[in-house]
Amino acid sequence: MVVEIRELIKRFDGKLALDCFNLEVGEGEVVGLLGPNGAGKTTSIRALVGLLPVDDGTISVFGRRQDGRDKDIKRRIGYVTQELTIYEDMSARDNLSFFGSLYGLAGRRLEARIEEVAGLIGLNGRLGDRVKTFSGGMKRRLNIGCSLLHEPELIIMDEPTVGIDPQSRNFILEFVKSLASGGASVIYTSHYIDEVEAVASRIYIMDQGHTIASGTLPELIARIQGDSHILVDVRIAAEKVRQELLAVPELKDVVIEENRYHIVVPGGVSAFEKIIPILSPQGIVNINSKQPDLEDVFLTLTGKQLRDGA
Amino acid sequence: MFKFHLLRGLRDWAGHLILIAVPVLLIAFFNYVFSGAQFRYGQGANPIAFLSALTIGFALTFQIYGASVSFEVIGDDFLSPKKDRLLASPAEPRAIVSSTIVVGFIVSFLQTLAVLLFASLALKAELGSIAVALPIFALSAAFNQLLGTAVLILSGSVKLANGILTFYGAVAPMAMGLYFPLPQNGFFSFVREYLGPMALANTAILGAMEGNSFKLAVGVGSLALLSLGLFLALPSLIRRLAR
Ligand SMILES: Nc1ncnc2c1ncn2[C@@H]1O[C@H](COP(=O)(O)OP(=O)(O)OP(=O)(O)O)[C@@H](O)[C@H]1O
Ligand SMILES: [Mg+2]
Repeated sequence: MVVEIRELIKRFDGKLALDCFNLEVGEGEVVGLLGPNGAGKTTSIRALVGLLPVDDGTISVFGRRQDGRDKDIKRRIGYVTQELTIYEDMSARDNLSFFGSLYGLAGRRLEARIEEVAGLIGLNGRLGDRVKTFSGGMKRRLNIGCSLLHEPELIIMDEPTVGIDPQSRNFILEFVKSLASGGASVIYTSHYIDEVEAVASRIYIMDQGHTIASGTLPELIARIQGDSHILVDVRIAAEKVRQELLAVPELKDVVIEENRYHIVVPGGVSAFEKIIPILSPQGIVNINSKQPDLEDVFLTLTGKQLRDGA
Repeated sequence: MFKFHLLRGLRDWAGHLILIAVPVLLIAFFNYVFSGAQFRYGQGANPIAFLSALTIGFALTFQIYGASVSFEVIGDDFLSPKKDRLLASPAEPRAIVSSTIVVGFIVSFLQTLAVLLFASLALKAELGSIAVALPIFALSAAFNQLLGTAVLILSGSVKLANGILTFYGAVAPMAMGLYFPLPQNGFFSFVREYLGPMALANTAILGAMEGNSFKLAVGVGSLALLSLGLFLALPSLIRRLAR
């Protein structure tokens, strides 16, 4: 295990920020940590990096106890902070060079790594420019790049896509996946469901300081046994047909919404073969189906909506 | 790391220009107001040209403001979200802060040299034997960088530290009679010569220029002790910063 966090407790002025938080990360894994604002994502990450003393629980990184002083652990972690922590008045090259030097890189090796990392984050053409002339997306990418110079084995990204354009966002998501295929372990926190779905091989759902569920996406969805929704638009929906549909044992519920049948099917059940023959005489205009997703998982487990990832 | 800090410290051209141009203008202004006056420090001390006294006094005053060269950078590093990123690295906070202070010292001393140079070239200030006093200017610059850092860490905010040092930078030259003459009596000459680090530096510099080894020894000795005190307190202050 690269990371093993057990029963972590952290209070701020008596208020629980982490409440028996658990996390495990294996080698080469991308673990998504999903939770709404204030869930405790940053707090757990800061504790993991050794920046925050905790009240109880254990943290082990690379099989060693994290006490915040172990330089060997520090050297092997790349921490991308949620806030931009780069120097706006300096050039991208200066920033990369400085953060590389903090990890003991120097000379040719540092130069070579700066070029490599600049290529990875797509900033090779802008290395000499001051950061304050960069777009939000470029700053975000540099913020990530500054944590990669020393080739960390564990990369921790705390909401690395906050406030950027979709193009930079996709760039970052693809990039995270490529990091893992290069052998690094990644912890990726976000409150955007689609991001976590896109990058993570395993997902932890976090709310109010603790992990409420974890697993692969299919595991999580299976866990809530959520319903699928089939929406069939017809020319004119009729009550008689609805009754016919309700007589099909696989269907849980059928509601007429203007000229649409909203059919609820238990998760994992396939019902199209039964539905189509009944509805085709009605003149099907359109069919949509919605499988349960992470949003439903979150809703079911916490009873609330995750902030919309618009 | 040091190279980065040096680049960062030198980058703020406007700031450096202000810290050079303002003292030069103040020297010119006060010299114009009290033109040709003589300046007498202690009782029985040799009077020196007022312009020279102003030049030395304002060069020292702006070393106080020059403390911001390092403490604003330290504040930006350790009293902001950057702190997490720096502390997550294996680099010692002590190394980062020391490198910043050394750069602050270099920049501040260069500013001092520029002020002295301008005053002697443009205003024709007589700074004949000032060269012997340059190490004292350097000591004073170092002291002020350490002082600024200590004030920043103890106050916990760049704004507050700026306020405190601006106040000190305004009062110290006044207590030395730089803005308006103070009464000539024993009490005030003591204040002028020995009360506070800036007065001590000033006394030491005049001592060096006049060949008065008592003043030189007392001024340099006390300033060096104060600097040493701050230097020794630095590790525990930095631990506090990195908490
Ligand atoms: N230094 C601190 N002092 C006091 N309370 C804190 C501190 N840091 C975090 N908290 C509190 O702990 C809780 C968890 O905060 P945290 O920043 O970990 O959430 P998050 O999941 O990262 O949220 P976001 O998505 O907004 O970044 C919040 O209630 C927050 O107010
Ligand atoms: Mg956060």
